[in-house]
Amino acid sequence: MEFAIADTCFLIDWSLWRRRDTLFKIFKTVFVPETVLNEIVSENTIVWIADAIAEGKLSLFTETLDIVNEARRIVEKTRVTPGIRGVDLPEAICLVIGLKRKYIVLTENRGVLMSVDLLDELKEVVVWRALEVIKEAYRRRLFSEENPLSIFREYELDTHHRFPISDLERVIYELKRKA
Amino acid sequence: MAIDNEMTKTLEEKLEKWHKLEEEARRIRESEADWSFIERQPPKIKAALKYYIKTGDLYVASRIAGLKVEEFNLLRIKAKIPNVA
Amino acid sequence: MNLKEKLEKWRKLEEEARKMRESEADWEFIRKQRPRVRAALEYYIVTGDIRTSAKIASMNIEEFRILLRKAKIPVVV
Repeated sequence: MEFAIADTCFLIDWSLWRRRDTLFKIFKTVFVPETVLNEIVSENTIVWIADAIAEGKLSLFTETLDIVNEARRIVEKTRVTPGIRGVDLPEAICLVIGLKRKYIVLTENRGVLMSVDLLDELKEVVVWRALEVIKEAYRRRLFSEENPLSIFREYELDTHHRFPISDLERVIYELKRKA
Repeated sequence: MAIDNEMTKTLEEKLEKWHKLEEEARRIRESEADWSFIERQPPKIKAALKYYIKTGDLYVASRIAGLKVEEFNLLRIKAKIPNVA
Repeated sequence: MNLKEKLEKWRKLEEEARKMRESEADWEFIRKQRPRVRAALEYYIVTGDIRTSAKIASMNIEEFRILLRKAKIPVVV
């Protein structure tokens, strides 16, 4: 897989992980929409992003008007569809880019996950959370640890993120079965 | 085959030429910058100025800083970072 | 999975996440915050909606995420 597009929720957690550069061993380039970059304020995250852009591992994605308009439509759709948590513009922009350019969308936003699951027009979009990124990294043997659970717990410790129990159990089971 | 090798060699030489020019420009920006001014800036501005020193990429640097291109250019001048074209 | 089953799946995930946020939160820290921030943190615990919570707190999303860590409230996704 070559390209991904990352939203704010993903970056602000991932940037705190001690093995955050693992991301660049999975993707050729990870794009960051300008709208997302505007939301980054902490020194840790902005320095990591700036350095990674300088090294060509991250790349700025300038949203065109058609993408923004399409994203606004997605925002509206998620607000009127019963049961779905609404998404905001930065997330919707990532979804539109994911759909048009076939980039993997990196997010920690529940609304994005629900939209892809419940809206037909977005069903082709591939969405990964840190859970799926770490799973892929482990599958590619990018970690020396034998027990995959220790990697996920390390991520939780560094970022104060929690993986849903059932999802984590399923991923651990899949990784151990393929080992 | 021989023509392909020649074209590849020319591309390699061109890339090497650009790489050297970029490296020279980066060194000039780095050596002339007012680092004291840069280190005093808030996180986004500081990161953007350092990014600009490394790459010479004004547009992306302005995005990192959250400024318009012209605003960032004025900041670049205040930080004594030359535009090496 | 049909739509009804999918919605039920998401409802269960949301409920699990809410319980985790509620049980791990530092309620003493939350109670000490000024009203808007406290309201935002409590709203986040109930809903997991970080963007709306950040707006309630009049904060940028990253600032609010930092506050969540201080309040020991996990993001469960």
